[in-house]
Amino acid sequence: MAATIEIKSLSKTFGSGPQAVHAFGPVDLTIEAGSFVSLLGPSGCGKSTLMLMVAGLLDASEGAIYFDGERVGAPRTDIGIMFQDNTLVPWRSVEGNIALQLELRGLDPKPYAGRIRDLLRSVKLEGFAARHPYELSGGMQQRAAFCQALVHEPDTLLFDEPLGKLDAMTRESIRTDLQALWMARRPTVVFVTHSIEEAVQLSSVVCVVTPRPGRIERTIEIDLPWPRDMEVKASPAFTRYVHDIQGIFRDYGVL
Amino acid sequence: MVSSNAPRDPAPAHAPAHAGRLIRAVEWLVLRIAAAWPFLTFFVGFFLFWEYAVILFGVPGYILPTPSEIVTRGWADIPRLLDYTLVTGTESVLGYLLAVAVGLPIGLAIAFSPMLRRTLYPFFVSLEMVPKIAFAPLFIAWLGFGLLPKVIIVVLVCFFPVALNAIHAFGSLSDELTRFCRSTGAGPLRTFWKVRLPAALPQCFVGFKYAALNATVGATIAEFMGSDQGLGFYISIATGNMRPDLAFAGIFFLTLLGLALFGCVTLAERLLIPWHISQRRH
Repeated sequence: MAATIEIKSLSKTFGSGPQAVHAFGPVDLTIEAGSFVSLLGPSGCGKSTLMLMVAGLLDASEGAIYFDGERVGAPRTDIGIMFQDNTLVPWRSVEGNIALQLELRGLDPKPYAGRIRDLLRSVKLEGFAARHPYELSGGMQQRAAFCQALVHEPDTLLFDEPLGKLDAMTRESIRTDLQALWMARRPTVVFVTHSIEEAVQLSSVVCVVTPRPGRIERTIEIDLPWPRDMEVKASPAFTRYVHDIQGIFRDYGVL
Repeated sequence: MVSSNAPRDPAPAHAPAHAGRLIRAVEWLVLRIAAAWPFLTFFVGFFLFWEYAVILFGVPGYILPTPSEIVTRGWADIPRLLDYTLVTGTESVLGYLLAVAVGLPIGLAIAFSPMLRRTLYPFFVSLEMVPKIAFAPLFIAWLGFGLLPKVIIVVLVCFFPVALNAIHAFGSLSDELTRFCRSTGAGPLRTFWKVRLPAALPQCFVGFKYAALNATVGATIAEFMGSDQGLGFYISIATGNMRPDLAFAGIFFLTLLGLALFGCVTLAERLLIPWHISQRRH
């Protein structure tokens, strides 16, 4: 079952004394189980910091995060994470990299061979299982990293700008895959991005994060039909959402 | 979902995979040599120029012999040269292996211990500034003419490149990979074997290669300082006897020794980290 994530008066300050940097918060947010929530904001607004805290990889300065009521105190092992710089290691093949997720958990990857194959097929990498990351394009690497983040069947997925370094066409294509996956399995997704369009296209809820210290300025439910294909993106309603969010950032002097 | 009746992973058995790797590594070496023909042409040209310039300008043999003289006189003394190559080789290899055996664990310990990072690390960095070879006469005075002082001097010149590169190697895993490992709940040991160690190998090899270059230098200088055998000893005696031809023959064998050591380390690198960017064939 996908988890509901509650964030309660969470804030993060780096350092102490006069040099302290108030990076984030206070933030209150409830991420419903099975929803796709984007944290949308400019770089340096603390959205990645928030994601790391949700993963339990960074301690909160104040406040707390709860997964289905259980307080996060250590790195959570029931989630899948995808970073902007992927976590593929150069000494392993694509298949080996996906298996690394399992091996680090002390699991035998052999019984997962079928699942790994299915995952690779779902992101159109079926012929590349034995290739090494350096033999793949940036987009293919992110697709492989996507499989790595999913192989242990996590109910919660955290994405930290995973498409940030890709070209526009590749981004578009991976977005479609991401959406298909989410629609099929309905995990809880927290998606960090600085692309307004990307956030509106993929999310059930967009959290508009404003910078320094990062705060969730507005939480917008995106009421558009699924799947959000080219037709939906061309619709006036889609454009309206994008326009409204641009307005928020403009008022904040970001745009 | 896990499909239980799916065909097993078609992973090949271990032995053939390793044999294939060795063949590929040797093949790579041969290709590298084959690709070196412009350099070889230059190399031959250089020696031809040397030969004929010495003859043309009438340079006396006790100042600069011709390459052909070096070859014929060296050949006449080949048993001793081979003997001494073995002596210097033993000193170099023993010292080198010892330096790696000590430097790697110490580098590892410093990389992972904040306490050692604040104590031993600055100490090593300042020692790095000291020309280690300056200790050579002291070790000869303390330990005499035998094998031990030479090995120690080789250890001294090889240790720092190994240790400092190991510290750097084990201390610089990317934030993403560190976080990824933590998010799997893997303990420090599993993280080390699966991720940290392989990730550190390329940088470790930078140190191994640098140390391999230093090893024969250390052994030779140690022999200059006090010994009754070895190529360093041979060269210093030949020079004293106004026999630069024999000194050059000694230098030639030293060069071969250094190349062999460096070649072994490069081959090991090729075998251990064929995936690394410096190892890729284009």
